[in-house]
Amino acid sequence: MQNQFKINCGAIAAVLALAAPGVVHADAAKDLGVAGRALTFLENGPAGKATLGVVFDPSKPASVAEKNALMAALGSGYAAGTLTLVGKAIEADAVGGAAGVQALFVTGGVNYGAVGSAAKGKKLITIGSDMACVRSGACAMGVETEPKVSITVNRATAAAVGASFKAAFRMMITEI
Amino acid sequence: MNKTHLLAGAAAGLALAAALPASAQSIDYGSLEQLFGEPVTTSATGSPQRSTEAPADMQIISADEIRRSGATNLQALLQRVAGVDALNSSAGQTDVNVRGYNQISSPRLLVLVNGRQVYLDHYGMTIWATIPVQLEEIRQIEVVKGPNSALFGFNAVSGVVNIITYNPQFDDTDVVTARVGTNGFSQGSLVSSFKLGEALSARLSVGASRQDEWDRVGTPVTVDQVHDPRAVTANLDAVAQLGASTTLRVEGSWANVQESLMATGTSYSVAKAITNSEKATLTSDTRFGTIQAQVYQNQLTAKYAIAGGINWENTITVASLQDLFKVGTAHTFRVGAEYRHNTLNIAPMNTSDVSYDVVSGSGMWNWQINPKLATTVALRVDKMSLERSGPFLPRSPNANNALWDRDISKTSANATVAWRPTDADTFRLSYGRGVQPPSLIELGGLELPIAAGPMTLDLVGNPRLKPSILTNYELAYDHDFAPIEAKLGVRLFQQDWKDIKTSISTATLDFFPTLTTNGGFTQINGLDSKAKGVELTASGKATPELGWRVDYTWTEVKDQPFAGVNTVLRNVAFAQTTPKGRGNIGLDWVKGPWEADANLHYVGDYQFYHMVGGLLAPVDAHVSLSGRVGYKMENGVTLALAGQNLLNERQKQTRGLEAERRIQFSVSKSW
Repeated sequence: MQNQFKINCGAIAAVLALAAPGVVHADAAKDLGVAGRALTFLENGPAGKATLGVVFDPSKPASVAEKNALMAALGSGYAAGTLTLVGKAIEADAVGGAAGVQALFVTGGVNYGAVGSAAKGKKLITIGSDMACVRSGACAMGVETEPKVSITVNRATAAAVGASFKAAFRMMITEI
Repeated sequence: MNKTHLLAGAAAGLALAAALPASAQSIDYGSLEQLFGEPVTTSATGSPQRSTEAPADMQIISADEIRRSGATNLQALLQRVAGVDALNSSAGQTDVNVRGYNQISSPRLLVLVNGRQVYLDHYGMTIWATIPVQLEEIRQIEVVKGPNSALFGFNAVSGVVNIITYNPQFDDTDVVTARVGTNGFSQGSLVSSFKLGEALSARLSVGASRQDEWDRVGTPVTVDQVHDPRAVTANLDAVAQLGASTTLRVEGSWANVQESLMATGTSYSVAKAITNSEKATLTSDTRFGTIQAQVYQNQLTAKYAIAGGINWENTITVASLQDLFKVGTAHTFRVGAEYRHNTLNIAPMNTSDVSYDVVSGSGMWNWQINPKLATTVALRVDKMSLERSGPFLPRSPNANNALWDRDISKTSANATVAWRPTDADTFRLSYGRGVQPPSLIELGGLELPIAAGPMTLDLVGNPRLKPSILTNYELAYDHDFAPIEAKLGVRLFQQDWKDIKTSISTATLDFFPTLTTNGGFTQINGLDSKAKGVELTASGKATPELGWRVDYTWTEVKDQPFAGVNTVLRNVAFAQTTPKGRGNIGLDWVKGPWEADANLHYVGDYQFYHMVGGLLAPVDAHVSLSGRVGYKMENGVTLALAGQNLLNERQKQTRGLEAERRIQFSVSKSW
């Protein structure tokens, strides 16, 4: 009985271990799709090919895993509506020196307060899937895909980086 | 509004656009749908909303559903919508209404194409074949149930059918289709999108169809009362980017239709309808919100082979201005103003006109109180000023143009509270007050003398008619069983109708003859009526390939005729002519290049006006099956076999011509 329990636990653990990266990857791709399409509703936003900085904390395994999943989804170019996104991994403490990116995706676990301040200095729109980042004002836009797509925009932060969304888009999202 | 000036202004705007950079400002339904993972609609409030969050009872027919259905016309698609009633009276014509109160030449449904009314405004009815769209260019059909005239204005009383076509600025739609079928059916259409410079996009569509009329066997209908339905339509839709924040959309259409129409429920006549339309819409995102200015004109020539030939020329011009804006983070407002001028010749003498001007003001306020609770309120006030000019029939009982010098002012309202206690549950409580004004024919567009022995009696319009008012109360509940990909919906509704307008009855004189005037007949406000009902819907996915849907709507109508009014003789016996039950069971299946769809449509027992004498006679409950099987090849060619009324060679669905089984084979190529 005990052996059977161990086998079952082992099997479940193996399944979870195999499944976990896939789950992270799938969620990251969904977040990326929503974030990328949302960027197409920016007034004077990026068009054609744009570089998305993926901000991560190398000391946080979850942040690194999300970064890896996002970069894998971005691949050599991720099509989101009329926009093709390419990725550039950026360590959190290097955001102030980041160049050649049009937007930042802040992974979970990152000290988003510092990242948000650096992004405002560079007039870069910040996107994250952690709503606490949006509520704090560090992220201009938050995206959720479960149980359904939901987008939240912090109007003050968006205004601070010069981001203005089209009217039709604003009617369909949550603004705080 | 002068048609030449309208087109010249639009052409100037398009010319200006050719050199400016492209940037999307008008609503890109496709991108928003892909972003949010569900259809987007503007039909509930005027602002874009997810279909599941719109504060209105709405069902959307998607482009995929249209293609899979195998339907060859719009009215066949609408019969698949829960709660929709359809009177299939001939091969080409169906009268459609929502949740009962359907009748021949049904005047209570507002039908729009991209916001332009396409019902025929001489009577408020819809001849579906005149609508100048091909099924392949429709992005979605939004069916709003219940009164919504606070947003859309006149005729949005029983519901709104808003047909949204692809926008050539965002959607590249190119498809050619040919269909042939039994009973002489043939249909062809072409839809082609193209770019003229970076800032100018356009889509052209043309289509033609014909089929044999249903057989006259078993009815008193004579050969001269019917005509094989034929239609030719064309439409041009062009969008120009006038600047980073401004677009101009110009649409023009033409249709020529000839078919049999049931008239007043007891006879048929051949009708020919030629329609033209021109429309220009300027939309701009400004610091004050999204401002939209729109002007359009519809022209109708309608010829009926009755009483020696009746020809109506109807022109309606509509100009509107609206601003949609958000205040703070939780409040969305829409304010608007509209002017319309509607004019009709008085047939058959054609020396006089009846017309009206309408000035309207409207407002909408949507308040997202918190993430789970939202409320929407809309109000609209219309002032309609009526006028008649020209001579009367000799000895007419209404021979005084001053009778038409009157104003009608009415208020429409909609209010909804939506509560979403969980991500899976939505409750919605709504109130609607809709206004159905009299049509120009009812107000005087017909002055027809008829011989009655030694006397002459006149059929005339009634300038004293009051608008009919519908008040609707509804409680709706929706549950999303996400783990099993299924949805359930329940609606409880109550309708209170006031001052319903009747048809003319020649059984009772409305004007008694005098020494100087003939006796006569006219339309009157003849009854109040109440209806209550329940609508149940469920849909889901049994497997990734197999979808299912079920709906059933039960209604009970109680008429309250005014003193002396015989609702049967005046064709308003809605308690008897509304079936208590109607519903659908459907399946759809997609696998690789194959797709299939089947729909069983049920209509319960009801009574309808007998072709001889006009008294009520039963129409038994019936079930009809429609379906399609299609195969899409890699080169963009699709082959399909579709059919309607497949269970019976002939089926009595009204008291008129019997619906026939029809089967079509189609080939289409998209690129």
